[in-house]
Amino acid sequence: MTKQIETYLRALKRQLWWRGVFDADALAEAESHLLEAVEAGIRRGLSAEESERQALERFGSVKVVAFAFEKERNTLMQKLLLAIAGLAGLFSVYVDSRPHWDDTGLLAAGLLLVSGLLTLLGHRRPWLIALAIGIWIPMYEIYLSRDFKFLVILLIPFLGAYVGWLAQLGIRKVFHPA
Amino acid sequence: MVGEALKGHLDLLLLAVLADGPAHGYAVIEALRARSKGAFDLPEGTIYPALHRLEDQGLLKSTWSEDSARRKRIYQPTPKGQQALTTRQTEWKQFYKAINATVGI
Repeated sequence: MTKQIETYLRALKRQLWWRGVFDADALAEAESHLLEAVEAGIRRGLSAEESERQALERFGSVKVVAFAFEKERNTLMQKLLLAIAGLAGLFSVYVDSRPHWDDTGLLAAGLLLVSGLLTLLGHRRPWLIALAIGIWIPMYEIYLSRDFKFLVILLIPFLGAYVGWLAQLGIRKVFHPA
Repeated sequence: MVGEALKGHLDLLLLAVLADGPAHGYAVIEALRARSKGAFDLPEGTIYPALHRLEDQGLLKSTWSEDSARRKRIYQPTPKGQQALTTRQTEWKQFYKAINATVGI
């Protein structure tokens, strides 16, 4: 494999990783494709260098290809993060409903941290993560007291989710500016 | 322009190309380009996520071939994929008839 293709594949691997796509087969396919395209170019009479340049150009920039993978493949990751958010929310209402539990601060910190972590890990809809984690305790409290003031609890996961989301965007911008 | 329009119909095109026989990604892209006389010219790397998605949906299956000097992932339609191709071909015919009738071609 040539230096140019090796560099491209390394960059593609990094881009995919940052976008939450972990797929060794995709990289193996990209490598196989590029080498075949280079060979075809040489058979058409191009120099090795020109053939490589054209093969990489036709394959698409690292960002374009990685974005296409992210768009098509990351839905599983999104669903997984959302499912974790839902389970964390259910766990929080279970803890909150225990008769001897009175550490509201710890629970609030937990909601804040988990919602922030899930958006930092790559969920693209902070409001959905916040609702999936945070809706359960207000629903439980409203059910018990018929008092809608408990909806204010939602502010905690919303804060966490948006801070995590902004941090995720910031990290991407720093390491992979558009 | 053609590239952008193509994106909405990529699944149909990929299934149609693979209906002719199993092929690896590079061959699929070459076939797409040849059949369209060069009009369908997307960044080649963006075809692979679409192939993977079709496989996730059960419309294609793939195997790694070790026959040649290089490992290649060979795709072919599943029975569900063949059914999907027939459905999408029918939908496409209805669509272009309606468009042609509307624009007066």
